[in-house]
Amino acid sequence: MWLTFKNQFFIKFWSPFTAVIAAGILSSYFFGLTGSLWAVTGEFTRWGGHVLQWFGAEPETWEYFKIIGLNGTPLDRVGGVMIIGMFGGCMAAVLWANNLKLRMPSSKKRIAQALIGGMIAGFGARLAMGCNLAAFFTGIPQFTLHAWIFAFAAAAGTYIGAKITLMPFFRSSATLKVGGLKKIPKPNPNQVQNRFRLGWLVFAAMVALSLYIMQSSTKLGIAMLMGIIFGLLIERAQICFTSAFRDMWITGRTHMAKAIILGMAVSVIGIYSYVQLGMTPKTLWAGPNAVIGGLLFGIGIVIAGGCETGWMYRALEGQVHFWWVGIGNIVGATILAYYWDVVAEPLATNWDKVNLLDLFGPLGGLGVTYLLLGLSFVLILVWELHFFNKQKSQQQELVAKLAELKVAELKAAPAAIATSATQA
Amino acid sequence: MPASIVPDYNLEIYGEPCPYPAVATLEAMQSLKAGEVLEVITDCSQSINNIPNDAKNYGYEVLEVSQQGVMLRFLLKK
Repeated sequence: MWLTFKNQFFIKFWSPFTAVIAAGILSSYFFGLTGSLWAVTGEFTRWGGHVLQWFGAEPETWEYFKIIGLNGTPLDRVGGVMIIGMFGGCMAAVLWANNLKLRMPSSKKRIAQALIGGMIAGFGARLAMGCNLAAFFTGIPQFTLHAWIFAFAAAAGTYIGAKITLMPFFRSSATLKVGGLKKIPKPNPNQVQNRFRLGWLVFAAMVALSLYIMQSSTKLGIAMLMGIIFGLLIERAQICFTSAFRDMWITGRTHMAKAIILGMAVSVIGIYSYVQLGMTPKTLWAGPNAVIGGLLFGIGIVIAGGCETGWMYRALEGQVHFWWVGIGNIVGATILAYYWDVVAEPLATNWDKVNLLDLFGPLGGLGVTYLLLGLSFVLILVWELHFFNKQKSQQQELVAKLAELKVAELKAAPAAIATSATQA
Repeated sequence: MPASIVPDYNLEIYGEPCPYPAVATLEAMQSLKAGEVLEVITDCSQSINNIPNDAKNYGYEVLEVSQQGVMLRFLLKK
């Protein structure tokens, strides 16, 4: 009984569909309890700021850090403790399932991809004031127009990114071999057991730390506890926003994209009720920054192979590729923060902060949001249909071509026999 | 694992991020003849959400999905 339970919940991966919807519900509560969005890139940018401070720079005087704040340490900020909780939750999940192995990149090309893709994504995300979370998954439920602009721009960006990643130069060098059923060495049972226990130790330590923090600040303690659950969810279900966009274009898979839309649909009504109770939704400039940022972000995450949320759990699983993505993200975000003053006015701050609840009235805004979510869902279905129809016709063309070739071969055969006969 | 399944080909993909394992698998499947079985072994955890799903979408049969530590094994039939 315990073994089956253990296997189902701690070892086998969870269904991403359920997990994304759970994340949607949880992110609504997160807003109600902490007043902030479930988001990560803002905090990563602050970490970049802290690194600069160690080297004697004064990023706290930069305009961008005045907007997002750079006070205290990560332990004093909702975003900071939430991310620490997320890392802890991911780590516990990785250890429980023994999914820890140093996986080296297969080539230097991949490292370059990770670093450059990560930088483009980090830069774009911060230009648009949010990544797949604050400008998409938790942004759209805030009824801020900029999140919708970002989402469609990011979708377009991932299309371009997909074209780049599939260029022959970047292809995988794995080759097809004859035969199969290789023996996969069984992991050492002692190691499995030890890691499972260590996972619980990490989990318990993180919960204890949250409770300790809760003594001085309820909000921060709760943020950290919820961060742990977010961490468990993203690792155990391998939630990947990048694949939601990218794989629609590459393989026609729409599973994750549909899950994310449903996740947002359940989150929307939660945020709406908090706003009706008097909370202020987080609204940002609906300017060209959301378009350009979304495009760059979309291109970057596909080249890198993961976004800000995606690299967190993969890095802890030992996928070295994603350590580089993480570094790239923070560097890219910090570069944007440095150049913010140059681009801020024309691209962002001169534009209005538009909230759909103000634009169409509360009920109208809610209706428009659900309408847009429904429309996105239909668009995905149409794309899927189009994609597989195209696949089918290509397949048929291929078969027809092969048949033609065979006929040509048969016609050419007598001549070939004749030549070989004369040669003999 | 059912002993009766004998894969005709195998594909090992280690250390590669998405989308490469899924793309390599689909390309490999294209070169198979109907009825042949491909075995994919990878340490890309994300593949759990990609490879079986894609295989079904492309009309292939997923014979087995198994997880051994970080290693994932998929048996796909064309």
